[in-house]
Amino acid sequence: MSLIIKHCRSNGITSSFNLRIWRLNSTSMDVAAKKGEEEEEFRVLDILKKRDKVQKKVARRNDVQPDRADRMAVDQNWGNVWPGPKTFHPSSVPLPIRQGYVPKGQAPPGKKANAELMKIPNFLHLTPPVVKAQCEAIKQYCTEWPKLLNSEEAIEKHYPVEVITSDYCHASPSIRNPLARIVTLRVKLATLNLDKHARDKFLRLVGDRYDEKTDLVTITADRCPARKQNLDYVDYLLTACYHESLNVEEWEKDKTEDDMEYYDWDKNASKKSLVQWYLRMKNENVDLKDEQFIEYDISQIPNAESYKNAVSSLMNDGENESTVNNYAKEVRALLGLPEKLVV
Amino acid sequence: MENLPSPAIELDKLFKRVELEMRGIDPAVLLSYSWFCVAAASHLGIEVTKNWALRKAEKERHTLLRCVHIYKKHKVQYEIRTYFRFIHLQRLTGSTCDTYLEYIERNLPEGCALKVTKVECVKMPDYITTSGKDI
Repeated sequence: MSLIIKHCRSNGITSSFNLRIWRLNSTSMDVAAKKGEEEEEFRVLDILKKRDKVQKKVARRNDVQPDRADRMAVDQNWGNVWPGPKTFHPSSVPLPIRQGYVPKGQAPPGKKANAELMKIPNFLHLTPPVVKAQCEAIKQYCTEWPKLLNSEEAIEKHYPVEVITSDYCHASPSIRNPLARIVTLRVKLATLNLDKHARDKFLRLVGDRYDEKTDLVTITADRCPARKQNLDYVDYLLTACYHESLNVEEWEKDKTEDDMEYYDWDKNASKKSLVQWYLRMKNENVDLKDEQFIEYDISQIPNAESYKNAVSSLMNDGENESTVNNYAKEVRALLGLPEKLVV
Repeated sequence: MENLPSPAIELDKLFKRVELEMRGIDPAVLLSYSWFCVAAASHLGIEVTKNWALRKAEKERHTLLRCVHIYKKHKVQYEIRTYFRFIHLQRLTGSTCDTYLEYIERNLPEGCALKVTKVECVKMPDYITTSGKDI
């Protein structure tokens, strides 16, 4: 039943629609016919062009409002006029701004219809009173720095580890920056409280990540895709190096003089020759073993202690003028030679 | 159910130093923005230790031979200039740092980029300070 009704209705509509089209066609045809009759007159040649000279009167509207910038009160709240970042609009800014490059001697163009002013990002929404008011509003979320941590030493004492990360904020299709994953950990070696063996082992494990001048160990991790993972990895590296350096392995006892990281005078040939020389001076023919040489007390030899220090500093700190001169002085004192003559 | 352990108190982070590096195509805009950053920091009671700009822009140059075939003298050079500005802040707590950075990053003008390097100071972990001797 409903189908039939629908059919009937659609039929009725189409018929009326056809009618309308027909009417429209007829009217348009009528108009064309009338136009044809009017345009049949010949055009007149206007040699002096008198007709064009007559200026058309431009109808000016009387109800155009004056510029908004001119009607602003002097004591208005500027933050309400310009609440957020917006392209420059001349009618909203009551300032005689000029901007643009012009030949010498001319004034730059004014603010109206000035593209130069619209191109540059403006800070009209961040005027000093507005910034102050906004800061007052967000100050409730801030907390004070603890008062006892008022110096670098205090911070370093209680919080010796530094974790350095970077955040990036820029206009690009993606808000993510892969560089933000990098985490750097810095710690002073002295704060780890390592003993002599552990320190040596730690430095060998860490390699060139240790800076001698500042005593800082810097561990950087960028191998994981997320910052959290890198942070965990850096922590793991520090912990692993620390505990590994505390371990003493069996093979570490095989360390020879060549593997030493510094010059130990007591275990070197220098001490052996000194002791031998001293014994020969006293006409004692004693055959000493290597361990006895190492354990030999040199305090009974005059000037031996300072000679030891001179040799050690020469070997450890490298040859420079002061160490070499010091060595020369100590050798003269040891052998009982006269002081060097200053010519 | 009632004997659930109370959630551990999350301590605020401590940032020894926060370094802002802003780069942009217009030095005047960067100057205004740095002024805004310093003003906001002073209102929030954050110490600003340093505030400076590079004397010259970093220039990325590309040389192009305009002629298709020969004539090496018809070369043009295009360059992209990037201006830098730096601000160093000192001693911020985690909440202060978050608030300040959120405020600043929301007001970053067009054509500028901001890199924030945070130096957080952390306590030495327990497993390094104490347990070293036990193992």
